Amino acid sequence: MKDVISKEHVFNQPIDKIWSAISVAEEISTWFIRADFKAEKGYPYTFFAKKDEDCTDITGIVKESDPYTLSYTWMVQGTEAETQVTWKLEKVENGTKLYLEHSGISSYGGETAVKMFESFNGGWDNCINELSSYLKDTVHAG
Amino acid sequence: MQDKITKLFKAIADPTRREIFHALVIATSALSITQISDQFSMTRQGVTKHIKTLEDVGLVHINRQGRERFCKASPKELRMVNTWLKFYEQFWDDSINRLEDYLDNDSKNV
Repeated sequence: MKDVISKEHVFNQPIDKIWSAISVAEEISTWFIRADFKAEKGYPYTFFAKKDEDCTDITGIVKESDPYTLSYTWMVQGTEAETQVTWKLEKVENGTKLYLEHSGISSYGGETAVKMFESFNGGWDNCINELSSYLKDTVHAG
Repeated sequence: MQDKITKLFKAIADPTRREIFHALVIATSALSITQISDQFSMTRQGVTKHIKTLEDVGLVHINRQGRERFCKASPKELRMVNTWLKFYEQFWDDSINRLEDYLDNDSKNV
């Protein structure tokens, strides 16, 4: 069963600018999710869910942070389902190519995957969807 | 709920059961235990056991007709796996778009 999501995208921006957008807490909080984050190996980060909703935070450990690869575990709080998110940047002509990978849902075996699905079923998806639109509005309003 | 999903994962963790399930998914009509036994060169007993496990988690529905039992796949239960993937596909697409907007707006301000 396929359990890896891979995305590729080319930005017409210099590599260091994108690196900073994905690795500096203030910037992550602006476009992605409000974050307590440091791009240091071993740092236990938190992405905060919206306060007024009954949502759960995302936590994890930074596994690799070496320009231009950033990798961290991705856990939905209250579960032990550990997935992995990796961002890789590469200089290309006129810009930067991003490789994004989210993997691991089934490699952790039944028990763990089960909890992930359980929390997912509990409506966590709605939280993120709302969070997404919230962020979208903020960005567009700004 | 958790118990149910645990069982679901255990059920599809076994390669033989996955094959049987797959055979039922691609079959145009329900297959009898006999037909499945023939197809997999297995004893009826062996097939019955696997089918029972699949039935317990809702992946297979059994329809009894006389002495024969006809099995039909019900892949609906696997939708959760799909939902997860679809959700994150969308989530990361949106995130990349937001990152791009952010970068574009940022450079205009400079």
